[in-house]
Amino acid sequence: MQSGRREGEEPQDSSRRLIRAIHWINNYRGFVALAAVFILGCLYTPRARDTGLPIFLSGRTQLDILYEYSEYGLLATGMTLVILSGGIDLSVSSVLGLCATLFALLTIGYGWSIPAAILAVMLAGLAAGACNGVLIAKLRLQPFVATLAMMTAARGVAKLISGGIKVQPAAQPWYALKDDTPGFFVWMTQSLPGVGVQPSTVLFLVCILAMAVVVRRSGYGRRLYAIGGNEEAARLAGIPVAQTKIVTYALCAMFAALAGVINACRQDIGDPEAGFGFELDAIAAVVIGGTSLVGGRGGMMLTLVGVLIVAYINKILSLNAVPIAPRMIIQAAIIVAAVLIQQRKRG
Amino acid sequence: MSRWALVLALCAVTLAGCSSPKEPEKTGETGTNASSGATGGQPEKRYVIGMSQCNLGEPWRVQMNKDIEEAVKQHPNIEMIFRDAQNRSEMQQSQVREFIQQKVDLIIISPKEARPLTRPVEEAMQAGIPVIVLDRKIESDNYTQFIGADNVKIGREAGKYLVKVLGGKGDVVELKGLMTSTPGQERHKGFMEGIAGSQIKIIFDADCQWLEPNAQREMKSALSRFPKIDAVYAHNDPSAHGAYMAARQEGKGREKQIKFIGIDALPHEGVRYVKDGVLSATFEYPTGGKEAIENALKILKGERVEKSITLGTKLYTKENVEAGGETL
Repeated sequence: MQSGRREGEEPQDSSRRLIRAIHWINNYRGFVALAAVFILGCLYTPRARDTGLPIFLSGRTQLDILYEYSEYGLLATGMTLVILSGGIDLSVSSVLGLCATLFALLTIGYGWSIPAAILAVMLAGLAAGACNGVLIAKLRLQPFVATLAMMTAARGVAKLISGGIKVQPAAQPWYALKDDTPGFFVWMTQSLPGVGVQPSTVLFLVCILAMAVVVRRSGYGRRLYAIGGNEEAARLAGIPVAQTKIVTYALCAMFAALAGVINACRQDIGDPEAGFGFELDAIAAVVIGGTSLVGGRGGMMLTLVGVLIVAYINKILSLNAVPIAPRMIIQAAIIVAAVLIQQRKRG
Repeated sequence: MSRWALVLALCAVTLAGCSSPKEPEKTGETGTNASSGATGGQPEKRYVIGMSQCNLGEPWRVQMNKDIEEAVKQHPNIEMIFRDAQNRSEMQQSQVREFIQQKVDLIIISPKEARPLTRPVEEAMQAGIPVIVLDRKIESDNYTQFIGADNVKIGREAGKYLVKVLGGKGDVVELKGLMTSTPGQERHKGFMEGIAGSQIKIIFDADCQWLEPNAQREMKSALSRFPKIDAVYAHNDPSAHGAYMAARQEGKGREKQIKFIGIDALPHEGVRYVKDGVLSATFEYPTGGKEAIENALKILKGERVEKSITLGTKLYTKENVEAGGETL
C-alpha cells in the first residue's frame, strides 16, 4: 500500500501523478467498478416503448434495484461480520427460510401483532446463530461444518412448524387470518408516499450503515478484525475470542431473520423453501466487495459496494433479457475476477 | 500490482458488457419500429409480448416456450421477450414490473406461486397491459385470461385407460409427483376417480417428487416386495421411465409384463418412450403455448376472449403414436 514513497528515488513529476492516480483507483476500486457498471447500465438500457426514455435510469428502476437486493444485502451484512472473523456461515439461507415461515405463521396463523412477531423472529434468529457460535467457538467445530448442520436443521424446523406447506391465509382451517395477509406485508414492499423508497430497502440500509459504524468504531469491531487477522495472537492478547465469535454468528443469523421478514412480505407467503441458495449470493457479494475470505481484511462499506455491483449487474442482465446460460457464466467470471484482484492486493 | 488490479477490475466490468449488447439493440429496435409503424400507418401493427417463465429447468416449461416460439413464427409482427425466473418468485415479480416499465403490449406469465405474483399482475392490469396467465392461477381474478390444463381429468383418463387394458382388475404401483403440489394431488385424485368401481388395487405408492432417480429407487422397493405387479401409474413420464429401468435392472424380464403409463407426453420424453416401447401409454399435459399466442393476438386486436380456457389432453399409445395421438 505504501510503496513508491521512498527518499532518494523520487520519480518524475508526471509519472508520480500517474502512480498516485493508480493508487487512488486501487484504493477505491470498488467504487470505480460500481461506476463502470453503472455506465454500462446506461449504455445498454432498453427504452420505454412509448416515451423512449431509458428504463435503467428511471428512478423506479434505481429504487427497485436496491429493493430487490435488500434481502441479499441483509444476509451479506451479517456474512461480512462472520467472514471478518475468519469464519463462514452457510446457514443464513435456511435461517431466512425458517424466519420467513415463522413470521408468516405467527402473524397469519396465530394472529400475533407485527412488533411481537418481529421480536420473536429476531430472537429465533439470535438463538440459531448463538447455536452456531457455540458449536464453533466452544465445541471446536469448523464453521463450514457447524453452519452446514444448521443449514439442514433450520430448513427442517421450517418444514416442521409449517407442516410442510406454504403459510398463507386459510392454508389451514385454524389460521387466524382467512382472507388477506396483514397490511404490514404490503406496506413493507411498497414505496413510502412522497419518499419513493420501500421500507424493506430502508431496513437494509439502516442495518448495514449501523454495522459499518460498529465495525469501524466499537471495541467489538476491533476484536473482530483481531480475531480474523490472527486468532491465536488475539487470544494471547486477552481478547475473549469465544464470546466475540458467538456474538458474531448470533448477529449474522439475526440479520438473516430480518431478511426472512422481508422475504415473507415480498412473497406474501411464508415459504419453508424460501432463500434456497441465497448464502452463495451473500458470500459472493461480500467477496466482490473486497472482503477477504481469509478474515481480518475488509469492511462493511465494501460489502455495500459489492451488493450494489451484483445488484446492478443482475438488473442490467435482466432488463436486457440475457438468457440464463450466458448470465451464469458472466456471474462466475465476475466472482473470479474479483477474487483475483484481492489476491493481487495481498501479494 | 496496482495496474493488474485495475486491468482485472475493468475486465470484470467489460465481461459483463460483452455478452449483453445483443439483446438490448433488439429491444431498442422494436421500440423505434413500433413508433414508425404507428406513424407510417402500416396495416400490421407491431406488438411486443413479454413472457415470464417461472423455471426453465423443467423440460415441460422449455416445451411451453418452444410452443410459443413456434406459434409466433406465423406472426412476424410479434416480438417476444422471454424471461426465466429460475424458480424464484421474487425474480418473477421484478420481471413483471420490468415489463410494465418497458410498456410491452401484453404479458404472458406462467407463475411459480400464486400469491407472490398476484400483486404484480394486478399492477400490470392497472397499467393497462393485458395479462394471460398460463398453467398456474393467481389469487385474484384480475387478469385477462387464464389458460390451463385439467390434471384431474388427465388422472381420470389414465385410470380409465388402465381399467380397460387390465380388464378391470390388477395390482398397480403409483409413483406420485410432489404431493405438496396441486398437480400431484390432482393427478392422484383423478386417477382414483378413474379406477373407482373396478377391481384395480394400488398395492404400493410413493412420493417421488417428479424425479426419475427417486422413482427408480421406490420402484426397486416395490419390485422386491411384490412378485406380481400389473401396472405402474407414474405422475410424470420420467418417473415412469425410472420405474421401467428399475424393472429391467432387476433382470427377471418383468419390464415386458408390467404396463407403464406416464403423464406429460413431451416429444422427446414420453412420446419417445411410447415409440420405443418403454411406456404403454402417456397422456399429454398441454403447455398452452400455442393457445396463448392465438388469444394474445385476439386481445391485442381488441376482440373479446373467454376468461378461462381449459385445455384437453391426448392419449399416446404404440398404435396411435405415429398418427399423433388420440384427443380425449
